[in-house]
Order: sequence, then C-alpha cells, then structure tokens
Amino acid sequence: MDILARGGRRRGALALLVGAVLMWGAAVSLQAWRERHYALPPAASDVLYFRAGSAVPRVAMGFDAILADIYWIRAIQHFGGTKRAAGGDKSYRLLYPLLDLTTTLDPHFTVAYRFGAIFLSESYPAGPGRTDQAIALLERGLAADPKRWQYAQDAGFVHYWWLHDYKTAAAWFDRASRIEGAPWWLRSMAATTLAEGGDRQSSRRLWQQLYETSDDEWVKNNAELKLSQLEALDQIDALAALVRRYTEQFGRPPDSWGTLVSMRWLSGVPLDPSGTPFELDSAQEGGVGLSKQSPLSPIPPQFTKKTGPTS
Amino acid sequence: MGRVIGLVAYHVFKESVRDKVLYNLVLFAVVLIAASYILGQLTAGQDIKIIKDLGLAASAVFGLFIAVFIGVGLVWKEVDKRSVYNLLVKPLRRHEFIIGKFLGLALTLLVNIAVMAVALYVVLALMNWLEPGLGKASVEAPVLDPQLLKAFALLYVQLLVVTSVALFFSTFSGPMLSAAFTFGLYIVGHFNADLAHFEDVVKSPAAGWLGKALYYILPNLAPFDVKAAVVHGQAVSAGYVALTAGYGVLYVGAMLTLAVLVFARRDFK
Amino acid sequence: MLALETENLTKDYAVGFWRPRPYRALDSLSLRVETNEVYGFLGPNGAGKTTTLKLLTELIYPTSGRISILGRPPGDPEVRRRVGYLPEAPYFYDYLSAEELLTYFAGLFGLRGQVRRTRVATLLDKVGIAGERRLPLRKFSKGMLQRVGLAQALLNEPEVVFLDEPMSGLDPLGRRDVRALILELRDRGCTVFFSSHILSDAEAVCSRVGIIVGGQLVTSGRLSEILAFQVSGWELVMADLDPSALAAFGDTIRRVTRISEGRYMIELAPDDEPERIVARLRAQGSHFISLNPVRTTLEDYFVQQVTARQAAPPAGRVMPEG
Repeated sequence: MDILARGGRRRGALALLVGAVLMWGAAVSLQAWRERHYALPPAASDVLYFRAGSAVPRVAMGFDAILADIYWIRAIQHFGGTKRAAGGDKSYRLLYPLLDLTTTLDPHFTVAYRFGAIFLSESYPAGPGRTDQAIALLERGLAADPKRWQYAQDAGFVHYWWLHDYKTAAAWFDRASRIEGAPWWLRSMAATTLAEGGDRQSSRRLWQQLYETSDDEWVKNNAELKLSQLEALDQIDALAALVRRYTEQFGRPPDSWGTLVSMRWLSGVPLDPSGTPFELDSAQEGGVGLSKQSPLSPIPPQFTKKTGPTS
Repeated sequence: MGRVIGLVAYHVFKESVRDKVLYNLVLFAVVLIAASYILGQLTAGQDIKIIKDLGLAASAVFGLFIAVFIGVGLVWKEVDKRSVYNLLVKPLRRHEFIIGKFLGLALTLLVNIAVMAVALYVVLALMNWLEPGLGKASVEAPVLDPQLLKAFALLYVQLLVVTSVALFFSTFSGPMLSAAFTFGLYIVGHFNADLAHFEDVVKSPAAGWLGKALYYILPNLAPFDVKAAVVHGQAVSAGYVALTAGYGVLYVGAMLTLAVLVFARRDFK
Repeated sequence: MLALETENLTKDYAVGFWRPRPYRALDSLSLRVETNEVYGFLGPNGAGKTTTLKLLTELIYPTSGRISILGRPPGDPEVRRRVGYLPEAPYFYDYLSAEELLTYFAGLFGLRGQVRRTRVATLLDKVGIAGERRLPLRKFSKGMLQRVGLAQALLNEPEVVFLDEPMSGLDPLGRRDVRALILELRDRGCTVFFSSHILSDAEAVCSRVGIIVGGQLVTSGRLSEILAFQVSGWELVMADLDPSALAAFGDTIRRVTRISEGRYMIELAPDDEPERIVARLRAQGSHFISLNPVRTTLEDYFVQQVTARQAAPPAGRVMPEG
C-alpha cells in the first residue's frame, strides 16, 4: 500500500493529512457525544489521592514541601470555593483531611495550622464550625513546634470566641505566655480573660491586641473582622435604643429606616462597618440586626450581650 | 595525570553543551516565572515559600534527570560505540578515564545547579520588588535567604552520589538497566531510615541484621535534603553540612573505586 | 631490538552464560617483528587478527604468553607514547569536528600550543581531509573516518604503528594513498604492523607476512621467500613442436596454447622436472625458447593455506556456534 508512490507524492501526502484530520475530528466528536450521555462522576474534583496521613511522606521522598504546598493550595480553594458557592454542600468535608495532609507533609507549615484553625472554626455557612478539629490541628502544630506560642494563643482564641469557655481560653493564653519568646502581653491576656471573659470590651481588647501584633495578613484580617463585628454590635445596641424609643412613643416599631430618617432621628440609612444597611427585624432581640447579606454576618449570639460572662 | 583527567572531563562537559543539555535551564526559568505569576491569589500570601519550594524541588528533579541520563551513558556509550579504543591506547590510564568522565559530569551539574540557584534568587528578588508585602508574610526566613545555598550545596553533593552510582553501572550495563537501577537506588536511598529499623516491621533478627547492613551499604540520601528546613528558616549548622557532604564525597570515592575495579581488567571484545 | 615480539600468546574466551565453555581465539602465537619492517598480518575472518591487535594495545588481556613492544610490556606508558593504533572501522565522537578530535588526542600526548596546531594541521593535510576539518564527525563517511583514524594514529610520530584493516572503506585512490603512507612511514624508520584482507596491497608494501588461521599462526616469513618456494607451475615455450607429441606426457601438461605456427606455450604442473620434458621434446626435434616459473600470488598461497587448515581444525579449539 504505497500511497506515496502512486499518484504522486504531493497528492499522497495530502490524502494522509486529510485522513489524520478526519480521524482526529471523529475522536473529538465521539468524546463530546460521550460526555453528553455519560458524564464523568462529579466527585472528580474531590479526590485527594491519599487519605492516610502517614503514607504520604514516604511517597513524597524529598518533595514533601512542594506537595504540602499543593495540598495547601487545594485546601484554600476548597474553603474559598465552598464558601462562595451559592448553594450546595456546605460541610467543607475535605477541609480537615487536606489540612491534615498539608501539615503531615510539612509539620512546620505555620500558616497551615493557623489559618487552618481559623477556617475550621468558622461557623456555618462561612465554615464547617469544627472547633474540635481546629484545636486538634493546633495541638499537632505544637507537638511539631513546641516553641510556637502562636499556636497556643490561637487555641485560646478558639475557646474564647467560639466555645465561650473562658477558663480554658485563659489556661491556653497562660500556657502560651510561658513559652520562650512569647510576648509580654499574653500574661495580661490570660488574666483579663479569666476576670472579664465574654465581656465585649475585653473581647475588643483581645482582638485589638491580636490585630496589632500579628505579622500574618490573614490573621490580621480575621482579627479585623471580629473587631468590626463587635463594632456592629455596639451600633445595633444604639439603633435598638432608637427603635425602643419609637415603639414607646408610637406604640409599634418603625416599619422602615425611612420613617426614622424623616423624623430626623437618623441622618441616613444606618450602615454596618462593612457598608451594608442594618435591618429592622422584629424577630431579632431589640428589633435590629445585621443584614443576611452583610459579610459580617453571622455574629456568634453570645456576644450580643454587652457585659458579663455567659455559660 | 591531572592534565589528561582534565581533558577527558572538559570533553564530557563540551559534549553536554553540544547536546543541548543545558537547555533544561530555559524550562526551569519558564516554570519558575510562570509559577510566580500564577500563584497570586491561590496561596494566602505564601508565594515566597512556595516559590522557594518549587525552585528547590525543580532543581532536584532536573538535576536528578541529568545525573542519571547522562551518567548511565558516560562509559557505556564509549564502549558500545568503540570510541573508547582510541582513548585507551593513548597515554591515558583506565582509572584516569573513569575519574575524568565523572568530573566532566560533575562540572556540567555544577553549572546547571549554579544557574538554577541564581535564577531562583532573581525570581525571588523580582517578586519581592514587585510586591514587598509578600516578604513580610514569610517571617520565618528572609526572601533572599543565603541559607538556600546550603540546600543547593547539599543537593549538589547528593547528585554527585547519584552520578557516581550511574557511572558505576555504566561500566558494565546498558543504559536502560542502569537507569532503572540508579533510579531504584535513589528511591531506596530516601527510605533508608526504614531499613535501619527493619526488625520493627519484620520480626526477625536476621531481617534486622540485613536491614542494618543494607542501611550502611546503600546510599543514604535523605540527609542531603534540607530544603524544608531552609525554607522554614530552621538552622542548618555548618557542621551538619560538612559531615553530610563528607559522607557524600567518601561514598562517591567508593563508587568510583568500584567502577575502576570493574573497568580496569575488562576485555574490550 | 625487536619492535614487537610475542611468545606463546594465548587468549581464551568463556562463551555461554550458564555453562561457559572456553573458546580459544588465539593459540600460542609467537611472532617477531624487526624494527623498520612492514609486517602484514593476514588471515580469514574470525582468525584472530583483531584479537591479536587488541592484545598488543592492551584493550584485552592475554590468558597466557608474553608480549614485548620495543622491549617493554604493552601497558607501559612509554609504549603508549611511542605507538600509534588505528582500530578497525573506527568511530569517534559525533559532537566533535575532525580538527577538535585531533586536538583532543594531541593534548593527551602532552602536545600544546603552536606545536599541537601545526601537527594537527599537517596530519589533516596528509590524510587528505584538510577541507573537512571543521565538519562534525557525524557527517563523515566511512572512508573519511578511516582517514581521521590514520591521522590520529600518527599524532605522536610513533615508532611502531598498529593498523587494523587500514584499507577498509577506502576507494582505490584511497588505498593507494594509504600504501604510499605506509611506505613513507617505513622510509622514516617506523615499524608498521597491519592486518588486512586485501592481499594485493599487502604484497605491494610488506617485507614480511604472517598468516593466521583459526587462532594459529600457520606461516610467517619474508614475502620473497614464501613466494619463491611456491611455484605454481611452469610456462614452457617451445618452437617447431608437434602438439601430438605432448599427449605422451599425460596429466603433467595442464594446458597448451598456440602462439603461432609451430610455437606453443605449454603450462606445466609445479611438481615436475621441466628440464626432463624439455629434453624429451628437444629429442623429438623441437626447439627450446623459454622456461618461466609461475609464481603463486599471495592470494593463491593464502587460499591454499587457509583451506588446508579449515578442512582439519586443530584439536582443542571449540568453534563458536553460529
């Protein structure tokens, strides 16, 4: 079958080329047809390839740091992707395994522990709300790096903010302060927490301290978010006072901010620190609350009280 | 003696250059630069760490491929093509031939690693200049950390060990088999620690003995890998570097001696 | 001093992987080559010529026996400095040019700078590839590689030169050049030891030859002596001859050719005493014109020696399979 000899070389070469293009086109069409009728299972993007933590460093063989980086990137994407998706599975179920792999491959990957704890602690729908996993992660970090007082500090914050367990939080701050190289203010943080835990003012102080002394931008951002939330709570209190006055005066709550504005009680529609308007919501205590669309939402309910420790 | 060794070594280097081996550096640079662009939003400010990891890992991979694929051909190609006949009847002793071949590839690797190290520093400097904030996020180690050189130095010695193994196989075995064996030893070399405690896995004293013996005989490559430590700013002492490098050099010596042993009394049919 | 001497040089190979049997490639080779001789080492394929040359250059090691080159063992650095070698069908390096290769090898001899440049240039000229000096060797044809091989063998102005099939791959012009080169080397005082298939070339340049068959040296000696003893026949020219008279001699007479009226050329077998035949023919009335021996060519001699040996291979030598 000497195509090239018969009928001239040019025509033979052209025929072969056309044949190749046709075959390729057929392959592509077949693929498209297959995809329409037999779609690949959607979980493809969820595959970790490895679940057992300790098997991975063996296979990594000297490339563990770069593998850790890859799993770190995937952890962030998983977290961000799930958070931003309009609906769907908000369990963030791969988050802990990915962080586990990252930190097993690179036990000194500080950021993975710290942000990992932040991500894991965030409550639904902004995160999985798994404070137990967050603490476990930080404890592993401490096991690998006992000198990293930041892990102990972060664990204290988890207990403080999410678990409202001020005794344990203070104990963590105290443990952190005893680690060589820890800053002086951890001592006072421990004391304050024990004395006034749950108090909005002391919370504000704690977060302010964290904000000012952290080098990690994301830890800073996290602290900033909490401070904004606290500020929003103050604003809600003030607005709730206005709503109460109106209710006492007119016998029913105002139906919109416009009413209060026209009465010159407010100069304009009140905005929370993120710039989203507050909502008049009779279901909320005080009749005022954060808009569901606000990035500051939701605020852990315990902090809506102004003073006094709870639970 | 040094003169003829130098001539052989120089020609190994010349052949690598003319075979366009050094073009791998272009690929390396492209990978680094592309990665530094893409990383951007993905990593929560960990760009510097990731670029360092990537630069060191890529250097290790490219270096390994050069060491193995050129190494397994160093002696074999000359014997197979019979060009070695011309050399060995000149005033060149057989051991000088072996040493010269090794040093030639060592030189090629040195140039390769040096350029990769420089490229990494340049990319890091660029990243730092374009976005100074990134530097602050990586508090553990400075952006242009001189300690990275320790990682490169130990990587280089590790590659010399791999080269010497490849060259040893090259004296009696064809490239396919030699490459398989050398890669195999590279992999085993990273799991060496497991061999030392083999009796924990297989409960028998004989296995423990065998494990320990293999642990000492096979190249122990894991200690050369200080990439993670350096990127995290952990101290790698000069003593550690010196001792590990010393182990490497001695191992190379042992391998080259074995190679000379095989090569010296060999008939070239 | 002898340029080359071997004494009972023997080389055995183990053939086969599971139960190696010995294969005797060379069996007790003893030869002597005087200084300034041109020695042709001849034999059929697989006879052991290349094996011998590799033993002489220490590319392989002998099983037993002794080698002495210029009075020293073959691996001696002094020998390496004073000897040149052209391997069979040489291969060099694809990535170098002819000039770079010669420069490299010259460097191994310790030549440097201007001396080296001149030497390289001269040799490139002498072997006729000066025009292709910068061309990468991978572009060289077989004949050109052969020339490069010759050039590199002569870089150190050697006293003894070993050439393995120096004419192979060359066209007739090239072969003539090599013959001239060999004679020039001889005139300069060099000793040339070469192996070859091309017997006419050997005949043209050699002072002595050795023939090796099946690993054994079957004959060695001055060319003139070998060929002198080997008369393959006689050519007798008689005039006034009556051809019918020749019938009486029977098989002795191989052929009769008529030259002219009454004049015939008679080809006789070598064993006879041609004088007897002449006498008898004269007695019958013919006249004697001339009697000339027909010498064997080297080729005839060669074929005769080889076939005799191959018909009855010597005991103890296991022939390789295939």
